[in-house]
Amino acid sequence: MTARFVGLALAAVSSLAGAAASVPENNERLAFDIFKQLIEINTTDSVGSVSQASEALRQRLLKAGFESKDVAVVGPSERKKNLVVRLHGTGLKRPVLILGHLDVVEAPRADWTTDPFELVEKDGYFYGRGTQDLKSGDAIAVASLIRLLQEGFKPDRDVILALTAGQESFKDNGTKWLIEQRRDLIDAEFVLNMDGAGVLADHGRPTTVRVDAAEKLYADFRLTVVKPGGTTALPVSDNAIYHLAQGLARLEHYRFPAELNVVTRAYFSRLAESDDGPKSADLRGLLADPSDSTATVRISRDAINDALLHTICAPTRLEAGHANNALPQMASAMVNCRILPGHSAEEIRTTLVDVLSDSQIEVAYVREFDGRVFARAPDEVAMAVAPLRPDVVRPLERVAAALWPAVPVIPGMSIGESDAVWTAAAGMPTYAVSGLAIDRDDIRSHGRDERLPVASFYKGLEFFYQYIRALTTSP
Amino acid sequence: MTVKIAALILSSFLILGETAHALDDHASAAYDIFKQLIEINTTDSVGSVSKASEALAQRLLKAGFPAKDILVLGPSERKKNLVVRFHGSGQRRPVLFIGHLDVVEAPRVDWATDPFQLVEKDGYFYGRGTLDMKSSDAIAVATLIRLRNEGFKPHRDIILALTSGEESFKDNGVKWLVEHHRDLIDAEFVINMDGIGVLTDHGRPVTVRVDAAEKLYADFRLMVINPGGTTALPARDNAIYRLSAGLTRLEQYRFPFELNAVTRAYLTQLAEAADGPRRADLLALLADSPDAAALDRVSRDPLDNATLHTVCSATRLEAGHANNALPQIASAMVNCRILPGHSAEEVRKTLLDVFHDPNIQVSYVREFDGQMFDRAPDAVALPAGAPRPDVIGPLKTIARTFWPGALVIAGMSVGESDAVWTASAGMPTFMVSGLAVDRDDVRVHGRDERLRVSSFNQGIEFFYQYLKAIAIEP
Repeated sequence: MTARFVGLALAAVSSLAGAAASVPENNERLAFDIFKQLIEINTTDSVGSVSQASEALRQRLLKAGFESKDVAVVGPSERKKNLVVRLHGTGLKRPVLILGHLDVVEAPRADWTTDPFELVEKDGYFYGRGTQDLKSGDAIAVASLIRLLQEGFKPDRDVILALTAGQESFKDNGTKWLIEQRRDLIDAEFVLNMDGAGVLADHGRPTTVRVDAAEKLYADFRLTVVKPGGTTALPVSDNAIYHLAQGLARLEHYRFPAELNVVTRAYFSRLAESDDGPKSADLRGLLADPSDSTATVRISRDAINDALLHTICAPTRLEAGHANNALPQMASAMVNCRILPGHSAEEIRTTLVDVLSDSQIEVAYVREFDGRVFARAPDEVAMAVAPLRPDVVRPLERVAAALWPAVPVIPGMSIGESDAVWTAAAGMPTYAVSGLAIDRDDIRSHGRDERLPVASFYKGLEFFYQYIRALTTSP
Repeated sequence: MTVKIAALILSSFLILGETAHALDDHASAAYDIFKQLIEINTTDSVGSVSKASEALAQRLLKAGFPAKDILVLGPSERKKNLVVRFHGSGQRRPVLFIGHLDVVEAPRVDWATDPFQLVEKDGYFYGRGTLDMKSSDAIAVATLIRLRNEGFKPHRDIILALTSGEESFKDNGVKWLVEHHRDLIDAEFVINMDGIGVLTDHGRPVTVRVDAAEKLYADFRLMVINPGGTTALPARDNAIYRLSAGLTRLEQYRFPFELNAVTRAYLTQLAEAADGPRRADLLALLADSPDAAALDRVSRDPLDNATLHTVCSATRLEAGHANNALPQIASAMVNCRILPGHSAEEVRKTLLDVFHDPNIQVSYVREFDGQMFDRAPDAVALPAGAPRPDVIGPLKTIARTFWPGALVIAGMSVGESDAVWTASAGMPTFMVSGLAVDRDDVRVHGRDERLRVSSFNQGIEFFYQYLKAIAIEP
């Protein structure tokens, strides 16, 4: 089936022109058209407009038959308007909210092989900014809703789709704004966040279907050393750069303790069941005692496992000095941490102070959305682990079993941070679900030459359509 | 005498006796020129050295120097140098005095006073260039005018070149003159006024230096390249960690202790003048196999340390492009001051050995244009020569009256100056200056640069006497 989808996409017009084209085929073309349109609307914070993308989608939805009262384009500013559309159900159950973001991170043309704001198909991949994060998901959701409406499908609950601004830039975050200003538009029993999880593949072979019920907490810290400086002709040993370098060397060798929570325990248990090699023994060792260093160290060699088991901090930026021939008056580093549920940023800040173990290195918290610096970090702990609802997981397992036979569905924890932080904090249990398959070593989100296999896109579309149907069909 | 001159400046309109008149006129002329120079911005960014050169040329013309002996010339509109010749009897080949007119940048916000106003406060002159080196420029010009007014006839031509581009490394005036107008500045030897000649301790003179050697300046750029990626999935191999580990090794490393003819003589004299454990330590360094503990103790003083070792310091860092992305590039700037006899390439190789990490690239950054090279130059720093008796002799004599008890000593400059250009052109170059500064108040290139009013006044008289002495040999 995948091969046929690819063929369709490659020669879209010729083979689809016939009247015999089926509903799925038409929907594929629609999804591709929307995807292409979204990629080619620049939605970066610097020069783009999310409003333009929201408006384009609104036009498509109206044309497809949605009533204008059910399609809202709302937001706090001219370039940051969000789209909210509602597919009415029978009202048997409370609504489900599907969440995605329309904005993308910056993509300098010079860094890319192709124009990041053109959807380019090459060697079996779609290239462009947002092909992974997250315009593919956005296009799939809109196309699926249109298909469900046109098929006359009546879900057992309203299906609300919110595609938002400000997820990447932290400015005018659309989900936060909707919760605070238009809760009525998006209130739901639970939330499916398309920004995360997904199908992990290994050289194109799917290995796990993830559903994420927890998320790590994001925090930036700034390390600063201040010194009087002076001329390098008469260097003093007390150099701000050396203080900082020593501290970072200590950070490099520090490992936060390995920890399991309900979700990651379940995740590693499923992994252990589905593996029968030596890895399985390590996984069982880990489950028995996460502080068992040998098993944990071996499992943590995989970057994803490492991030699931540990709070991880990495230095990301350095800045020091003002002239080549002057001792630095200031040296600073940015350290980014992804914190396990149950721990606060302040707790991590305190740990960093201990690890750096140099009273001359100040460790301040940098607030994400405005870059403001604080001596102390917030005490709030990361998002609570959402209970795994059977009405979310079972339909997922059924649909996944048909599309990816023998590939386990595994509840997990997102190692990044998404808008789930806002919906979860508003009391709506939030799960990350996506049918887009990406090789685990080809995650190019935020990077150059971001790409998605063409086959993944069409299979992801089929998954999403079937999953929303299954999720909202009462037995 | 010092006190009297200071009093004259502080209350310059007081009525003075006959004998004080020449001094008074001379001192107030020097002050006027000093003030004018400070108030002409000569930074690379927005200033004009030409304007300063032109102002000085006008003063010299007015004072009676023939127009043919005053030249304002240079490679570009804002970078013109002043060259003036005071004719002598021609018995000996000329002496060239060099100084630079340009100053380093001075952001107004960093300063307590306006850096481009000469402000007198609490016994100090404040302003950019009060130390480095408009004070010396003004003194030199005022002294030539005074000597002319007195009808002084030296036995050799005295050439004064006040130049641009010493601080910025761009359009360096001395280099340009050596290359394009050697005839204008050709001399038997050169006195470079760019330095602090007299170090004091809470105002008490300790040493009077003449520098006969100079360390070599070199910048190196350390760079680590890495694929980067998201911090949600951090690779443990982080460019910043690589760089930090390298810098930590550099911090621990000390270049070998080494003496040359100049620093050996310098240490010998220091030892003779010292007493107690300090004397023992200095003598231990002069022994055939220097004592490591003594070396450690002496090296704790930054000036001694810089005299005994090549020193490298990390001065800048740059890495990363986003808070939540692993860095693709991490880089550091390392500045080295290299002992005579060693090349920048030799030091670059030592740095590679010290970092001991093939992922850290070490390239050479050329000072005057910032261009980078895989290899550094093989040229070695100028070998240290013994100071000429006709340079150090008069200094010793005059210093005795000005700074009694201070040690007159030949040394090696730990910094770098335009001496590099004149010396490499075959003209032996010596740093001499009569400006006295407390060793813990050297604000060269820093904020609130200042010079004691009394140091300035003393410097005027010193320079007059010293110039006369070296231009008329007994």
